[in-house]
Amino acid sequence: MNDFPLPVRAERSNPLARVFDELIDFCRARSMFMLHYCTGCGAIELPPAMTSRFDMERLGIQPMVTPRQADILLITGYVSIKTLKRVILTYEQMGSPKYVIGICSCTVNGGMYWQSYATAKKLNEYLPVDVYIAGCMPRPEAVIEGLRKLMGEIKAGRANSWERYFREYDRYLAAQQNLFGPNWQTPTDIIGEARDYQLYGPGTEGRHTELLQQHQVPLQPLRMTLHSDVEKSS
Amino acid sequence: MNGEVGRPISRLLADVDGARCERKGDRRVRIDATPENLPAVLELLKGRAGYLHLSAITCIDWMDDGEFELIYHLWSYEDRNLVSAHIRIPREPGVYLSVYDLFEPAGFFERDIHEMYGVFFEGSPDQEKFILTEWNGPPPMRKDFDAEGWVQGTFQWEDYRPEWLQEIEEKGGGIAIKPEQARANTRKIRGWKQ
Repeated sequence: MNDFPLPVRAERSNPLARVFDELIDFCRARSMFMLHYCTGCGAIELPPAMTSRFDMERLGIQPMVTPRQADILLITGYVSIKTLKRVILTYEQMGSPKYVIGICSCTVNGGMYWQSYATAKKLNEYLPVDVYIAGCMPRPEAVIEGLRKLMGEIKAGRANSWERYFREYDRYLAAQQNLFGPNWQTPTDIIGEARDYQLYGPGTEGRHTELLQQHQVPLQPLRMTLHSDVEKSS
Repeated sequence: MNGEVGRPISRLLADVDGARCERKGDRRVRIDATPENLPAVLELLKGRAGYLHLSAITCIDWMDDGEFELIYHLWSYEDRNLVSAHIRIPREPGVYLSVYDLFEPAGFFERDIHEMYGVFFEGSPDQEKFILTEWNGPPPMRKDFDAEGWVQGTFQWEDYRPEWLQEIEEKGGGIAIKPEQARANTRKIRGWKQ
């Protein structure tokens, strides 16, 4: 799995910069916005985790409705191949740093759907997963325990597996193409973003990104029409 | 009232050749029909007995018999009675008539069965892909489709014996039934060849 180990964050020589880094990490860990995207059955454990009984908000975890503003993508259960496409589209739209949590056994290895033709098995193959919370389904305490583990990792500056998606895009794309066919493409330009974030690594481009660039259709802006225009043209 | 429900149906079907009617419960009647007379049976049930609601069409793949069984479930709001009309069609070529002209919801059921079993319904309005829009393989609910083999050939698996688990096992914890054992059992039962 770890063909390209992530570079360790360079020690900052300026003590003030280190203070700022730690402050930023502390603030990130204390204000996590969780995307409201529920797959499978594990989502049923989230309402009690979010509302007054277990109250995730006291830890600074809030639900958020748009991927652009969210930090955490919770995959709550089995991901069908059809859903996985949407999950990847959503994940790519999220702003970095972003974290993926796989809840339930299905995200680890297919769970009780391990021999189903319709569900993807190993989520880590398609997206870099930070924390797995196993169980069928895990109770709200376990969900909060997993989120607290993620908070600790963020605070310690270790939760940077989102960088993997940019540094090793070719490997993730290989798994996606294996499942969705060679014509698979997303509207997001990951290679360009990797260069922009200075996360371009030896695994960013490869055989599979070449295949993507052969098939890639440049995105066209959608034509905006008013209802009357449609009537006139028809 | 309960005893009376089944009787009109058997009287109704007396004129149809080859249709047998059997009471299975207080509110359930089973009809064994043939592919030739099923449209007539449904027409009679709808027009003469008030069975207006087609709640589902079920398909069963009897691979060893070389047949598909189609079951039409009809509900009467007046009698509060469920009638299941069974027919068997040959597995090859797996073509049957649509009942869309009698019951409009049949369009959805037939499209679903076409997708999952590959049965083609002549006269059905739309036999395109329905739910499995991303699926290009054979119809997955057919018994001759080896889902487990397909899965083993398509997906990667997470390591079941990571290092941290071995540490736990040394202390006496870990997984009670090993995944290899569980899978070996299912293979033995289903005759799965490796």
